[in-house]
Amino acid sequence: MGYVKLTIDNREVEVEQGTLVIEAARNLGIDIPHFCYHPKLGYDANCRMCHVEIDKNQKLQASCSISVADGMIVHTDTERVRESHKSVLEFILANHPLDCPVCDQGGRCDLQDYSHRYTPTVSRFEEVKRVFNKDYFGSVIEKQMNRCVSCMRCVRYCDDVIDAKALASAGRGSMSEIKHFGSHQLDCEFCGGCVQICPVGAFTNRISMFDYRPWMLKRTDTTCGYCGDGCQLTVQTRDQQSAVNTIIEVQSFHGTGRNNGDLCARGYFGFGFANHEARLTHPLIKRDGIHVQVTWEEALEYAAERIVAIKQQHGSDAIAGLASARLTNEDLYVFQKFMRMSVGTNQVDSSVRYGHINAAMAMETVQGTTRWLITYEDIVKAHTILLLGTRITETNPIVGLKVKEAVKKGGAKLITIESTVPVVQTISNITNLSSLHLQANPLAYGAVIQGMIYAVLAEGLVNEETRDRYPQYIERLKQATMSFSLRDCAQVAWVSDDQIKTAATVFSESPNGIVLVGQGVLRSPGAFETVLNVFDLLLLTGKLNQEGSGLAVLTEENNEQGALEMGVVSEYLPGSSDRINNTEKQEAQMQWGSESVADIGLRLPEMIEAARDGRVRAMYIVGENPIESLPPAAKVRDALGHLDFIICHELFMTETAKCADIIFPVCSYFEKDGSFINSEGVVQKVRRALDPIGESQSDWVVLAQLSSFMHVPMEYSLVTDIQDEISRFRDSSRKAARPDRKVFDRYIEYEASNPKVDCRYVVEKPKTSDTRPLILTVGQSLFHSGKMSTFSQGLQAIQATGVLMIHPDDGEKYGVMDGSLVKMESDHGEAVIPVTFNERYPQGTAFFPEHFSEAIGEVLSMTIDPVTSVPYFGSAYISITSADSGD
Amino acid sequence: MAAFEKILLKNMDMPDYSGSLKDYERAGGYRAIQNALGKTKPGDLIDIVKRSGLRGRGGAGFPTGVKWGFIPQDHPGPKYLCCNADESEPGTFKDRQLIERDPHQILEGIILACYAIGARTSYIYIRGEFALGAEILEKALDEAYKVGYLGTNILGAGFDLDVYVHRGAGAYICGEETALLESLEGKRGKPRTKPPFPAIAGLYGKPTVINNVETLANIPHIVNRGPEWFMSIGSPPKSPGTRVFSLSGHIARPGNYEVPMGITIREMLEDFGGGMSDGKQLKAIIPGGASASFLTSEHLDVKLDFEGIASAGSMLGSGAITFMNEGTCMVWAAERLLEFFHHESCGKCTPCREGSMWLLQILHRMEAGHGKHEDLDLLLKLCGNIAGQTVCAFGDAEIAPIVSTLQHFRHEYEAHIRDGCCPYRTEQAELVSTGSSQRH
Repeated sequence: MGYVKLTIDNREVEVEQGTLVIEAARNLGIDIPHFCYHPKLGYDANCRMCHVEIDKNQKLQASCSISVADGMIVHTDTERVRESHKSVLEFILANHPLDCPVCDQGGRCDLQDYSHRYTPTVSRFEEVKRVFNKDYFGSVIEKQMNRCVSCMRCVRYCDDVIDAKALASAGRGSMSEIKHFGSHQLDCEFCGGCVQICPVGAFTNRISMFDYRPWMLKRTDTTCGYCGDGCQLTVQTRDQQSAVNTIIEVQSFHGTGRNNGDLCARGYFGFGFANHEARLTHPLIKRDGIHVQVTWEEALEYAAERIVAIKQQHGSDAIAGLASARLTNEDLYVFQKFMRMSVGTNQVDSSVRYGHINAAMAMETVQGTTRWLITYEDIVKAHTILLLGTRITETNPIVGLKVKEAVKKGGAKLITIESTVPVVQTISNITNLSSLHLQANPLAYGAVIQGMIYAVLAEGLVNEETRDRYPQYIERLKQATMSFSLRDCAQVAWVSDDQIKTAATVFSESPNGIVLVGQGVLRSPGAFETVLNVFDLLLLTGKLNQEGSGLAVLTEENNEQGALEMGVVSEYLPGSSDRINNTEKQEAQMQWGSESVADIGLRLPEMIEAARDGRVRAMYIVGENPIESLPPAAKVRDALGHLDFIICHELFMTETAKCADIIFPVCSYFEKDGSFINSEGVVQKVRRALDPIGESQSDWVVLAQLSSFMHVPMEYSLVTDIQDEISRFRDSSRKAARPDRKVFDRYIEYEASNPKVDCRYVVEKPKTSDTRPLILTVGQSLFHSGKMSTFSQGLQAIQATGVLMIHPDDGEKYGVMDGSLVKMESDHGEAVIPVTFNERYPQGTAFFPEHFSEAIGEVLSMTIDPVTSVPYFGSAYISITSADSGD
Repeated sequence: MAAFEKILLKNMDMPDYSGSLKDYERAGGYRAIQNALGKTKPGDLIDIVKRSGLRGRGGAGFPTGVKWGFIPQDHPGPKYLCCNADESEPGTFKDRQLIERDPHQILEGIILACYAIGARTSYIYIRGEFALGAEILEKALDEAYKVGYLGTNILGAGFDLDVYVHRGAGAYICGEETALLESLEGKRGKPRTKPPFPAIAGLYGKPTVINNVETLANIPHIVNRGPEWFMSIGSPPKSPGTRVFSLSGHIARPGNYEVPMGITIREMLEDFGGGMSDGKQLKAIIPGGASASFLTSEHLDVKLDFEGIASAGSMLGSGAITFMNEGTCMVWAAERLLEFFHHESCGKCTPCREGSMWLLQILHRMEAGHGKHEDLDLLLKLCGNIAGQTVCAFGDAEIAPIVSTLQHFRHEYEAHIRDGCCPYRTEQAELVSTGSSQRH
């Protein structure tokens, strides 16, 4: 791209061709006033505020809509320009209510700032002001149309960036106002984007209404603790002097973070749990079945005493540790070190076990690293993107925005393999952007991949280089896929042969391609094999070792990649690349001065079993809640009941914490320093925005103190001490995200010779049931993440309960009414829950948000992956009947 | 005035002319496409229209051939022609007559224009209220498709064309060409920021020509009789050809009259409009639709062509001439027009949206007798702050009635202020408030 020279206010500047004049001026530090322009959005030039004089043009020009030209002469501060700015402001202010004292935007309002810059203090407007009644967008956004400047930023953002298209301008001319569609309350994604992008106070956040003035707030940049996208948040808290230790608001600024200032409902409205009144504030010890408040010293001493005693009596392996992948890297590292060194066992596991481990082990098998080999930027630039079982807007909204950007701005082809129906609703539906949507059986996403591989081999779509270099591997795959036909895959997956063939053709013919794999695959049986198959697809189509192409797995929790790289699964030690082997073991022992790392220990489902049968006598649970996560709850509760001793680190009194002998109150991530690693493999800082609530402490502090009480001390005084130690194990640079050639060659050789590859290429019809006609999937809602989010008032205001979603036709078929109660039955149990009709879920399927899974715990059952020990409980065959008995 | 030959309204003057395909052909219609398609190169056709000097009849008067010439000939994708039949300018009703009485004349113009610019698809965007016109056009399209004037391989010339009628939904702004495109694309009708101009990025981002109904109706005649013939009519070289003027107001014979451009307003009023009605004196003239500045009885000898009207300080616009007699209150007239403009301002850009409301509120007060002397200054200042500051020409249009009445009839405003009432009213005007969200 070329550069052009122009003169702005007598200063010369050189900028890229195509730059807008308003941006060129910004390069020189000249702020041309504007309302409607936003770098994220295409220009609309409606506010007319950014007028400047350009060259000899008789008319003033909107600098937001004119590109620079060589030799252009721009004046931004002449008498004429100033008059124009003043006149536009006068028009805007004519009907503005001037209610700054009661407007939350006051202090950071563009209109307020420009008014001070340009206008006199008296108005020539003496007429009756136009009045719109105050209104609300759902329970979280207040709408004050009297303050609106009609810049349409909110509408354009909602359309262009979020793709929700929930808002529109209604009415005409001076009576225009921003409205949502339909006569019901706004039911959009509640990403908060309209509030964030509004230059004035037309939209404000009801969660923090009237609680602050911007200048009273302390700002802290940190990383979001909900999903794996890793968004940068600017957390705004009341300053310390006011003695109010509360989060008022969360924002994210354009140009910052991996999210570039975009957020989702969880990020924007989900901060409330930190200051929730139910937070645990003091250490608790269970005495005579009742938790009583004790001092830290007492609790730590008691905990140390018990751990040492159990260790002596039953051996180190009688103690198992389980941690949440929401903790910081530093907490996670210290936790596994505590277990492996201070306790001396390798019975360590974390929530990575719920699915991410499937992908990690497959990635490590093929590419030698568990990291993505691509970046978010690669997604935006991709020619073809294949979404496999992601429901990306709900699980990973910001990566979803990258996909939307790739399609809408970059013209990328999108292939979606999802069970959802492409219907237009005010929650964006990624399948609407799809150029090829394979509306698949939610239990058989893998069959589509198998079919695509079959088609690639059968239709001669194999990449030339792959064909020449790995003939035996291809031969092996051909043999392996002989056991089924394309028709088999299509039937199992509920799609057509042609759709699979087209998908295979589009993907293989694309110059590059990215496959995004989500929870729909990773948390379903056969996930490990399906991810390996995706690698085969990438290799066959020449996209495995190609820059900008590859596999990207989406993580549900914010630090699953961190938990993996910190070694909080029994298969891995800290580091990122290899399973426990002798070299790493030795290295770890040298570092820790201990020799107690055993071979692979028990994994989560096995721990629960071992608790029941007495092989495990104590559990150390940090931020996890297996009773509510693993169904059926009663069985897990019973297993934990067999234990002699349970320690929990918790924010809230969860069902699991209720069983604990000791509960240590710990900090939420808003109160901690440390780091997270996002899905993409980027290490990002977590900074303390709040003072710890009550006497809560960071998890690593508790563990370090406990180790001292146990006389196997881990001495850290600062979080940076831990980071230094981690850096000895783990290459934090992007270099680590490189494929290991040796591992890859080994994979090819192995797959080329090993008949076992056959077992990845078996197309099995998922069982069906005449009496249980619906396939229930339990997954993430856009408005929650785990259970922690259910303590956030903002998110609860949007979605407070779990509702079963079914297709309206199924509702009619099974005689239930929209909004009524239904009895849902599976072979394992039943539950009575409310039902809503939603055309997004195809006939024959049903969906329930996992955050409220306790309501349907009896319906679900658990199976365990034979290779990766992942517990699967996200689906069931169900039947429904009306439970509205009318009495 | 001297005898002249009608061009556009000629057919419909014939007794029993129904506007059907048969009648149109009997009158010599569709000869132009027979002669041009496959025989004249598209580039040469553009050249013919350029040489004819034909200017747009919608309002802006842009040279038609030049507009066609802006379309990139080598553009690989689709190109479009939109026929602007959203005739909404107050006082204008010429396109309606052309559509209802002689639809094939327009279709032939469309076919020729599409052939010239290389468009394979054309849309007729017709004003929503023109239900009859839309019906007639649909029928005409059916007839044309049946005989192969539309569809594939038209007249064996290897040229394909599909034409669709699209009805608007009642917004004046959709007559603005880029708002029309937005509306046609299914979006809210709001003008686009230019550049890019439609010739480069128009409908669906593709090169597009938007021509008025009357403009297109002229094309077959130019093709048949040559550019020199057209150039000899009316007021060449800048304003050749005829115009269909829509006369309205306090005159004896309102209606559409086709005359060669260049006759005077006086000739128009007396020879065609039958003079003022009820023997009253002429006070004001709006010579080109509601967007044009008011002229006075002093301007009766101004020529009705692009330059003549422009030099008198107004514009020829859509060809709608409204005459107002001595009993008309100029403040009321301006207020009434502002009511229209306020109602029709799309609301996209600040000066037009907020300005139209503010101006209207002042005029309401003024007409109701609550005006102040400072208001006159304020009106002019506000108009100045709208002029040239808006996305489209609507801003300039909405201030025209105020600026021109203040220029020519300032004393009437002053009388309202002095007397505390409208001198032309017997009853006190009601003070209307626009400041309510309930009013749409």
